Amino acid sequence: MTAPASSKDRAVSVPAVRGVRWSLASKQAAFGVAIIVPTLGILAIFRFLPMVQALYLSLTEYDLVHPPKFAGLANFASLLQDPLFLKSARVSLMYVLFSVVPVIPLSLGLAALFNRPLWLRNVLRSAVFMPVVMPAVVMAVVWTFMYQQDGVVNTILSWFGVDPVPWLRSSATSLWAVILIGIWRATPYYMVIFLAGLQAIPADYYDAAQMDGAGTWATFWHITLPLLRPTLLLVIVMNVIVAMKVFAVPLIMTGGGPADSTRVLPLFIYQTAFEFFDMGRAAAMSVFLFVAVMLFSFVQVRLFTRQDDNR
Amino acid sequence: MKRWSMKHVASSLAAAAILTLNAGGTVSAAEPPANFPKQPVTIEIWWHEYGPFTAYVKELIEAYKKVRPNVTINPVVTSSGDINQKLTVALATGTGPDIMDQDASFYELYYAKGVLEPLNLDVFGAKSYDEVAARYTPGGLAAATFGGKIYALPYQGNSMSLFISNKAFAEAGLNPVKDAPKTWNDMIALGPKLKKVQGTRTVQKAFDFPYHSPRWEIQMFQPLVEQFGGRLLSADGKRAYINSPEAVKALTLWRDVTKVTGDPKTTMNTPSNPNQDFIDGRTAMWVTGPWATSQIQQSQVKDAFTVVSYPQVDPAKPHTIVYGWMWGVNKAKPEAQKIVAWDFIRFMLAKPDDWLAKVAFVQPVKGVNETAVAKNFPFFDVHMKDVATATWYIRSEYTNEIGQAVGRAIERTVYDGMEPKASLDQAQAEVDKVLKKAAP
Repeated sequence: MTAPASSKDRAVSVPAVRGVRWSLASKQAAFGVAIIVPTLGILAIFRFLPMVQALYLSLTEYDLVHPPKFAGLANFASLLQDPLFLKSARVSLMYVLFSVVPVIPLSLGLAALFNRPLWLRNVLRSAVFMPVVMPAVVMAVVWTFMYQQDGVVNTILSWFGVDPVPWLRSSATSLWAVILIGIWRATPYYMVIFLAGLQAIPADYYDAAQMDGAGTWATFWHITLPLLRPTLLLVIVMNVIVAMKVFAVPLIMTGGGPADSTRVLPLFIYQTAFEFFDMGRAAAMSVFLFVAVMLFSFVQVRLFTRQDDNR
Repeated sequence: MKRWSMKHVASSLAAAAILTLNAGGTVSAAEPPANFPKQPVTIEIWWHEYGPFTAYVKELIEAYKKVRPNVTINPVVTSSGDINQKLTVALATGTGPDIMDQDASFYELYYAKGVLEPLNLDVFGAKSYDEVAARYTPGGLAAATFGGKIYALPYQGNSMSLFISNKAFAEAGLNPVKDAPKTWNDMIALGPKLKKVQGTRTVQKAFDFPYHSPRWEIQMFQPLVEQFGGRLLSADGKRAYINSPEAVKALTLWRDVTKVTGDPKTTMNTPSNPNQDFIDGRTAMWVTGPWATSQIQQSQVKDAFTVVSYPQVDPAKPHTIVYGWMWGVNKAKPEAQKIVAWDFIRFMLAKPDDWLAKVAFVQPVKGVNETAVAKNFPFFDVHMKDVATATWYIRSEYTNEIGQAVGRAIERTVYDGMEPKASLDQAQAEVDKVLKKAAP
């Protein structure tokens, strides 16, 4: 057995270590690691560990009070036979589809508009961006009042002879009302991203197209859109992820009703966990949502990169 | 009708003295029980936010400090909508309060989870749980008793009665006492007289059922089912009868009454303010509890309202509902804190007439209706009459799930036009699935 080194031995070894000469590349690599490690540590503790914990919980029966009991894949199996879960997944899918699709042309159109010289352009940009700054809770409360029988929305509709619409009090309209808010809120945010993308396209391309006699539509189709592809990908992926996680607005405005018509998956997960205290099942739903988001993002990235490779 | 005033509070002090020991037991505030800790003790109490309630509990904390100077009480106030989640998560993680405030229907769940400390008989100066129960009205502790032991004490047990807007009735040429509906058929008959529609806009509903939370929906649905002779759950809570013929009749009645009297698409009621439509004059009649009295009096309605008994299917066989909130003690806390917690609960509940005067909460204790406070409380006799024919809100470990399933069934029928039987069949399947989890 090796005898422990004396304090004298250790004191001698220090200069030897200090004597090691580090190349510039090694120093830069070490510096890079030193910067990344704390961030990775924080991510690991506050992001990845809870994700692993959720994955574990999804395989258990856990009511918050008694210790988790291993249940294998039972939670996942029961989800697929649960009409409430399937309805909630369908509501989420509807929300994602109809809140994401209109946002792309709307935000791109606004970005194109605000990319041109306009009177009071910066003021208008700020005004359009306001919904993004507003907290979701405040927004939900304000819109709840706006959607009432005598609220602003129905008052405006009445000017055109339209009868009051029970926006939040009818299964037929409640999801559309919530979707409209999603579009209203997301459009200016993605407009800013598109604006940054548009401003990154060199003006030379447009000058050359103009000299070649290309019209507005041809310029947009053959120059703007192809060069905006990375931005478009970012916007679609981000928008879908945000839409799949929508929670506060339906919670506050409808609580998921009437008759579950606005109970999106995150809201159902919340209710299952903190109202029904079925943490295992809620975790299984979270895993399902996570996999769905990952799959969608993966497919999107693949589709866009494949098209790039084919060019 | 007389407005509630400080004069009435003062005039009731004598009667309050009689009641002081009713719920609290025979140990006075000045004499701590023999096992009461001598060292400094700190406890935490959580309750749900409601203005007058919060003010009164804070007043009680200050008063308790004077009689138990070695005790520090840390208050935490949270919204009624959040308290269930916060409390359950806190209890699960060992950070719950010493004293919890919770809707009575949740105590079944907490009892099942083993987080409740049974009532400390020494603190209450009682030899048995029966002795404590005898201080309450018959069935007053039904939602707090499990396996023969008392695990919580109610600070309010609300009846549900029909509040009528005198103004709306007068405008329709009706008398709020003489013409008040005694049955649901009377209610349907009154609908066209009181419901006001301008074009396609309903500007005044005659009556509406609640739709702002599943809790309130089941609160109205349960007595309807019972009025038809049915029940929603078996006595042991293991079987549900959501789609029984009586329940189908109840939902059919709900739909028919709504068609003639209401317009659920125009409600402004919310969980934090369930009486909004009534106090704004959007509905002529509304079912709520005595606690709403002060809120209504402070609104534009002022004293221009009348309270009559809950409408019935058959007035000869009246059936109403009672629900409440209770104090309980966290089993996981050290012994000294649990003794202090029960002592403070005893102290808090010692003056039922103060609760009535200051918060308009009716404690289900014997003798409360004999006090001057009660005698001056608007329509107290009506509330007591309705309590006498009431059963407690359903007790189950799965109250939330059952409430939501029934709420959905009601909304499917009212909002989407689904037939009551089909809608309740769906709810029955949902509840059966939940109850299966409880099966051994």
